[in-house]
Amino acid sequence: MSAIAGADGAAMFDLPDELAIDTDVARQVIGQFIRGQLRQAGFERAVLGLSGGIDSALVAFLVAEAIGADQLLCVLMPYRTSSDASRTDALVVVEQLGTASELVDISPMVDGYFATALASQPDAPPLRRGNFMARQRMAVLYDRSATWGGLVVGTGNKTESLIGYTTLFGDSACAFNPIGDLYKSQVRQLAAAIGVPDQIIRKAPSADLWPGQTDESEADFSYPVLDRLLFWRIDKRRSDEEMVELGFDPALVARVDRLIATSEFKRQVPPIAKLGPRTAGVDYLYPRRRPGSAAQPR
Amino acid sequence: MQTLTVALAQIAPRLGMFDANLARHHELIEEARVRGADLVVFPELGLTGYLLQDLAAEVAIRLDDPRLAGLAAATEDLSVVVSFVEESADHRLFIAAALLEDGRIRHVHRKLFLPTYGLFDERRFFAAGDLLRATPSRLGAGVGIAICEDFWHLTVPQLLALDGAQILINVSSSPGRDLAATNEVGLGTATSWRTLMRTYAQLTTSIVIFCNRVGVDESISFWGGSEVIAPSGRPLFGAPLFEEGLFTVEVPLADLRRERLSLPLLRDERPELQVRELTRIVAERAGLAQDSTADDLAETGLDVALGDAVREPIGFRRGGGK
Repeated sequence: MSAIAGADGAAMFDLPDELAIDTDVARQVIGQFIRGQLRQAGFERAVLGLSGGIDSALVAFLVAEAIGADQLLCVLMPYRTSSDASRTDALVVVEQLGTASELVDISPMVDGYFATALASQPDAPPLRRGNFMARQRMAVLYDRSATWGGLVVGTGNKTESLIGYTTLFGDSACAFNPIGDLYKSQVRQLAAAIGVPDQIIRKAPSADLWPGQTDESEADFSYPVLDRLLFWRIDKRRSDEEMVELGFDPALVARVDRLIATSEFKRQVPPIAKLGPRTAGVDYLYPRRRPGSAAQPR
Repeated sequence: MQTLTVALAQIAPRLGMFDANLARHHELIEEARVRGADLVVFPELGLTGYLLQDLAAEVAIRLDDPRLAGLAAATEDLSVVVSFVEESADHRLFIAAALLEDGRIRHVHRKLFLPTYGLFDERRFFAAGDLLRATPSRLGAGVGIAICEDFWHLTVPQLLALDGAQILINVSSSPGRDLAATNEVGLGTATSWRTLMRTYAQLTTSIVIFCNRVGVDESISFWGGSEVIAPSGRPLFGAPLFEEGLFTVEVPLADLRRERLSLPLLRDERPELQVRELTRIVAERAGLAQDSTADDLAETGLDVALGDAVREPIGFRRGGGK
């Protein structure tokens, strides 16, 4: 485990050695991926939801590096309980990159739904409210996708996807995702390499669905430990016994295994009942984009 | 020809857009000619893109397709390797590479090994080739063509070299993966391939030419890094990772003779030994002979001895052993 320092010399985060990536190559691959996705679809522009957190900040930097900041629209979508610090940090990213940005307050949409459609249940639990907010943001992003003429870029990382810490058709909805195969620790490493401001890298990751919420307190783990566990378990296919030999708590391994298994459905497209001769995703298999499918052929 | 000028066309094919890719091939062949190339190599499925799935049938061409003839016509005084989906007369689809020389099709190689594991799904969409032949060429040395995964099987470079190839050409669409910082060149796939190519060049004392594509199909990024390796295993040229380009390399042909005289590995090969032992292994696997590495009481065709409770043979016939 290595401590990665910020500009002031103080440690920003711990990077497990086995998760360290070649960030130059990662930037090359991701840049090519972003340009390739847009080109295949016949688009030149992109849009993303910028929360003020590290994941979306990193994606904004990567997209700006790949296609130029002027082709990117960052949409800030705070709810009335979102922290001011999130908005400040998001605006720092917008300013540093020089991208277009818009602020869309989702409070009226969310409050309107819970006030009118569910008047009999005014105190919807936070998880339900959080999921609804994530889906509102998705709806706003896809609307701006049409007005801006750009594809929605995903900002979810591999750690949260594997443990299912995402909202189905909410924050995970996108046209393509450049960082979905990077663990949180690798997101931090790449963010530091590409120049995401230190204060964004340093702060505790949070879904910011209610004041004081953080990922690690809510789920009771630390990212370096969870990332290492997932890496050995998933990428390196280690058995129960081998995980113990690597020093992992068997109870934590079992708990994470359950999280992975119970969220499998979130990582896949919904199954279609097989009835006809050719069924999409089963025996009708095409690339997502092919000749004739591009919006504006170049 | 004392020096062979090789042009590596490290391109990013457009997925499913045959005509656009064909036009790009014609442009680059002309550019390579202007730059004095003797041999131009395009990557695997350079005319169609890689991740075709059901599009494969829609971009497939027969060997008598006028578009292939048109490419061949552009090869006066030139050797060019191109790759495409080939449809046979009986409607099988192959991943193929053709050597075009002096206006005609000189040789066709159909991919032998179709990876269908991990991120690969080739066997679902394609038929595997059945032939492996080296071919004479206007370059003055025998040529052996292989496609990507073919080079992950030791038999392919070895058989090509024994068959007379002195120039081994591998055309690839290799997806890049594994960014671990500990990799030699920052990419696990590139590190593995480099090891293979240096080893094959050295062990077959042949020139190895590797042309890998760049660009993106769906989730997959192709890493380029095309190379030319001398018969000593020493790299003569390495193209940049992920960058499109036409790269020319001067390859001294005299090194072939020198290396084969000083390191006569091919002279000392024992093909008859291989045939004998392979014949035995095939017979054992087919249950026609007792498996020499099986459990003592295993039946022929199986390598694990069944427990005492089982009295009746379930294999091919009652085993030897005792």
